[in-house]
Amino acid sequence: MISVKDLHKSFGDNQVLRGIDYEIEKGEKIVIIGASGSGKSTFLRCLNLLEIPTSGHIYIEGEEITAPDANVNRIRRKMGMVFQHFNLFNNLTIMDNITLAPTMLGLKKKEEAKEDALRLLTRVGLSDKADAYPAQLSGGQKQRIAIVRSLAMDPEVMLFDEPTSALDPEMVGEVLEVMKELAGAGMTMIVVTHEMGFAREVASKVLFVDEGIIKEEAPPSEFFSNPKNPRLQEFLSKVL
Amino acid sequence: MSNFREKFIQDFITDNRWHFIVDGLLVTLRVTAMALVIGVVIGMVVGIIRCAHDQQTKNERRGLRGFVINLLNLVCKIYVTIIRGTPSLVQLLIMYFIILVSAKSKVMVATLTFGINSGAYVAEIFRGGIMAVDKGQMEAGRSLGLNYVQTMYRIVLPQAFKATLPALINELITLLKETSICGYIGLNELTRGGDIIRGTTFDAFLPLFGVAIIYLALVLIISSLASIMERRLRASDIR
Repeated sequence: MISVKDLHKSFGDNQVLRGIDYEIEKGEKIVIIGASGSGKSTFLRCLNLLEIPTSGHIYIEGEEITAPDANVNRIRRKMGMVFQHFNLFNNLTIMDNITLAPTMLGLKKKEEAKEDALRLLTRVGLSDKADAYPAQLSGGQKQRIAIVRSLAMDPEVMLFDEPTSALDPEMVGEVLEVMKELAGAGMTMIVVTHEMGFAREVASKVLFVDEGIIKEEAPPSEFFSNPKNPRLQEFLSKVL
Repeated sequence: MSNFREKFIQDFITDNRWHFIVDGLLVTLRVTAMALVIGVVIGMVVGIIRCAHDQQTKNERRGLRGFVINLLNLVCKIYVTIIRGTPSLVQLLIMYFIILVSAKSKVMVATLTFGINSGAYVAEIFRGGIMAVDKGQMEAGRSLGLNYVQTMYRIVLPQAFKATLPALINELITLLKETSICGYIGLNELTRGGDIIRGTTFDAFLPLFGVAIIYLALVLIISSLASIMERRLRASDIR
């Protein structure tokens, strides 16, 4: 479904990604871990072109999104993205946050978008917040809304960029719950996170990104119990 | 007291001299209002071009599209530099005696001058406001498939506008008072109206203080309207 070939990304002289090759199948839940500055977030952001790769190719369902004439806006509709800092639209109510993109892009009629939004809000237990503004919500609530906002576009894959890193500890659980439920429903997910418990429980594959390349790739059981790469062994000894 | 009454009659009533004040006020309001519209339009366009340039890396500004953005950005930069670097009175005189020398309407010359002048300041205000909106807002909009213009229009600009409102009101107040230099091209606005009365009656006190009080009242009205507007815009900040 997603195919990455020899992906490089530099910021000036700083080479962040140095050749990533990877294939992701539909329905897979890929969890990416690594130290900060390892390039894991940059890799994720390259997948929907929030960062423009310096070289290399990315194909989504056979279509090259890194081609110069690719319709980036259309491709992004099918890829939901959840950010570390939520990035809810501060000037809009929760309902408008969710319905803005589907209605503005002409995918849903206003009424239909509202119904869908309410259904999704109920699913994450926040249907009473439809008329609130983001400033009135807790971090955990904001992040659940951000997930709903992405889901309202009916994406085929969801990208999560450290979705719980900016949350108070007691709110991490509620967000992970929503993500687990989503995983259970069969969504293709790519998650950058430091939540090892989530990786162990939900991931179909765990990737260790270090120095801009994928240093290890394995199903969680093997990844955590029998890590081969020395850098990964060192990393796991620090975080586990 | 009878002296004050006499002076008042002499300054404002005799020969319907109050007309100088009222007509002048109307000219001042017209020039200010039209210049504001021109200033905001120019300011928005220039501000957005400057931001569109600055928010993209050199890498993204390649090819024809990049060339156009670079060129527009350069033009905007030169415009802002020239306007901010020269006195508005000099700009007014240059417009009147050189650039628009064949123009018939002084109001038009003044309106254009102040609109163009104000545009440079408004552009910087908007640029500051847009840059101050968290980068994540644009990223979130784009990640949902909205294009740059759609995200700007619905997400970034409304937030930028709210943040810049106090500075914009400031600019409007400055603009209103700056129009008092229009007397230099012989346009009878409010200040010149008062000054004509002073020249006729040889009484400086009442005409000039009268003019000052009218400016002050206008500024007070503008600021109170602004605070009402700010309160409305703050709806989304309530916790």
